[in-house]
Amino acid sequence: MKERTIPQKKFGLIFIVIGAVLLAAGGTIFLMGFVDPVPAFVKTISKKVFDLPVLAALIGACVLGFGLNRYCNKKFSGGSVDFSRRSITAYLTNNAIILALLALVVVICFIEPRFMQIRVVLDILTQSSTRLIIALGICFTLLIAGTDLSAGRMVGLAAVISTSMLQNLDYGNRFFPDMPLVPIILPILLAIGACMLFGCLNGFLVAKYDMHPFIATLAVQVIIYGACSLYFDLPPNKSQPIGGVRSDFAWLGQYKFFVIENEAGKVVFPGFSILIPIALVVTAVIWFILNKTVFGKNVYAIGGNREAAVVSGVNVFKTIMGIFILASLLYGFAGVLEAARTAGATNQYGNGYELDAIAACVVGGVSLNGGVGKVSGIISGVLIFTVIQYGLQFINVSPMWQQVIKGIIIAVAVAIDLSKYRKK
Amino acid sequence: MKKISLMMAVMMMAMVFAGCGASSAPAPAPASSETPASSEAPASSEAPAQAAALDGDGILVGSCIYKFDDTFMTGVRTNMQAEADALGATLEIVDSQNKQPTQNDQVDTYITKGVNALAVNPVDRTAAGPIVEKAKAEGLPIVFLNREPEADIMQSYEQVWYVGAKAEESGTMSGQIIADYFTANPDADKNGDGKIQYIMLQGEQGHQDAVLRTEYSVKAIEDAGFGVEALGSDNANWDKVQATDKMKGFIASAGIENIEAVLANNDDMALGALEALKAEGYNTGDAAKYIPVVGVDATAPALESMSKGELLGTVLNDAENQGKATVRIAVAAAAGTEVTSETIGYEVTDGKYVWIPYVKVTADNYQDFM
Repeated sequence: MKERTIPQKKFGLIFIVIGAVLLAAGGTIFLMGFVDPVPAFVKTISKKVFDLPVLAALIGACVLGFGLNRYCNKKFSGGSVDFSRRSITAYLTNNAIILALLALVVVICFIEPRFMQIRVVLDILTQSSTRLIIALGICFTLLIAGTDLSAGRMVGLAAVISTSMLQNLDYGNRFFPDMPLVPIILPILLAIGACMLFGCLNGFLVAKYDMHPFIATLAVQVIIYGACSLYFDLPPNKSQPIGGVRSDFAWLGQYKFFVIENEAGKVVFPGFSILIPIALVVTAVIWFILNKTVFGKNVYAIGGNREAAVVSGVNVFKTIMGIFILASLLYGFAGVLEAARTAGATNQYGNGYELDAIAACVVGGVSLNGGVGKVSGIISGVLIFTVIQYGLQFINVSPMWQQVIKGIIIAVAVAIDLSKYRKK
Repeated sequence: MKKISLMMAVMMMAMVFAGCGASSAPAPAPASSETPASSEAPASSEAPAQAAALDGDGILVGSCIYKFDDTFMTGVRTNMQAEADALGATLEIVDSQNKQPTQNDQVDTYITKGVNALAVNPVDRTAAGPIVEKAKAEGLPIVFLNREPEADIMQSYEQVWYVGAKAEESGTMSGQIIADYFTANPDADKNGDGKIQYIMLQGEQGHQDAVLRTEYSVKAIEDAGFGVEALGSDNANWDKVQATDKMKGFIASAGIENIEAVLANNDDMALGALEALKAEGYNTGDAAKYIPVVGVDATAPALESMSKGELLGTVLNDAENQGKATVRIAVAAAAGTEVTSETIGYEVTDGKYVWIPYVKVTADNYQDFM
């Protein structure tokens, strides 16, 4: 291939044009849907490709924004983008997983055109929400070259504790038969508090005794499951699944806003799940902690080079304690949301979530050797797994094959990631 | 830099869908899958006569099974698939991996995909509420199977059905097998007092199935006109080894010549009790040394034991008819046919419940299940 360089301005301009065309075309077709009567070709389009115009418009807007940023931002001005074999190969390896995912999405769209719906996007975002919160918690422990096997069981603990105190007064099989109606925040705080207590234990074992996090959290995981099962087995509940959850608590996981219905009562726009903004807020807070606070810098410092961090005055004990407590807070919160979403809980909730979360982080570029990892990577890691699971169910791939595909993706992603570092 | 990293996140999400948009626009996409082509259309001619009224052509049923490695539910889903093929409907089945949140996600996926009916085997029977809400919002029919949602959830929406077995019936049937044996063999009442002296081996303390099977098996014997006397009753926690030990204890305390029957809440415990009896020379082919033993479940080892004449009988939870009934209701409801005993070929109770009876497995019919 011939080597070519394009000035940044021109590079940006290409994106602006593509974005504007997509936005205009998609937007026009979308708006025509409101013209009365609806033109015939618009009807055909929406029958064949569903919400593709709207999605195209949204994508166009993103591309446009990217182009404008390249075009106007001073940091890029004057520079140039070169298209050589090497830079393209580098781009492909750096984004291999995302590109594979794009290919998968294209295939799914061909097999099942209904995949091109706004609902699909909303479903995927909703289903990613609690997973993202757990992955963000676990990423702190991965950043210090550790891990946290107790995450899933903490989710279960928080789910059981919160639902046990938030049942309807007239429910037949109450966990605490004589408990009055308590403010909804109290059981939630208790549930998260219980998780943080175990988070403290995790941190203490790791920080004080220098135990490897794998062993420390494995021990705590077993303790949590046992403790949760004991609580779950308390009379009169006796290990029955907890149900009859108060509707104001279920609201926290199930509410949808901006639901639009037409005159016939048919749902036109399914609405945004409340879980999406919750996850966005949590993500913003975690991003701020990791990038803007001393604590966040210390996490990266310990993960990058522990000795150097100690020498330069980082309080390792405090930081590690902080990491595990913050992580457990997030697991607890996610557990409460899972319970609210399903309006119920058992001691089996959360089983195995830690491995999903670790896989998502690793695919998202968080290094198990510590010190490397970004919030944006974790978001893409979580989204990749959700899209795979959602998409494969959508085109009716056997659950056994889904497992195989998931495993291959983890292996390939990490292999590519590691080969990148080895070259340097 | 920070702005960019955030933007990258948005971009990545956007790119995921960008590929979808860019490439499928020019090529005319295949027709909507609302009416998926049936791959098994010819098979519908082989469907049993009573299902002839049901035509599943073009109907897509989405099903969630609580756990794929559950033996019984594997039997149910195999039969669901067979029935869907027979009716010409398309059935998709996913594994909820014993996680209720995963199952809720899967139901959302099915709804977005546009299935015509849902068949859900809940992970937690108490958590069926949100799933019914989802189906109700879309006006989709939903059939629950094997794990019965609470009554108020069943009543909250008219398009909800339940297919399952009544746990107490398994107890009743195992009791009847014993009663039938005593009717046919009056000599089995060794001391001739008109009462059956029995040993009861129970499952876990407080387990609903254990409580119901124990209660109703004894009740069935009494209903058949026999008196009963419990020589011993204890928990063996569904476990074969524990059952052997407990049975040895009972043989020592009550005396093997006084024991007239052994009832176990499941087959493993029944086989455990048989081990203890065989150690005493009983149930090994000598007609004078035989104590009737019954279990529940019709597991492969139990059927094997029946073929050797050791175990008297067991009770089968009918996976075939549970699977069939579930699919028939889903297809009928999706097609807009009223779900009645006539349309689906199974008796419908209260317009919502289809109770699939257990099947007695005895020396006469055990070969059908091997």
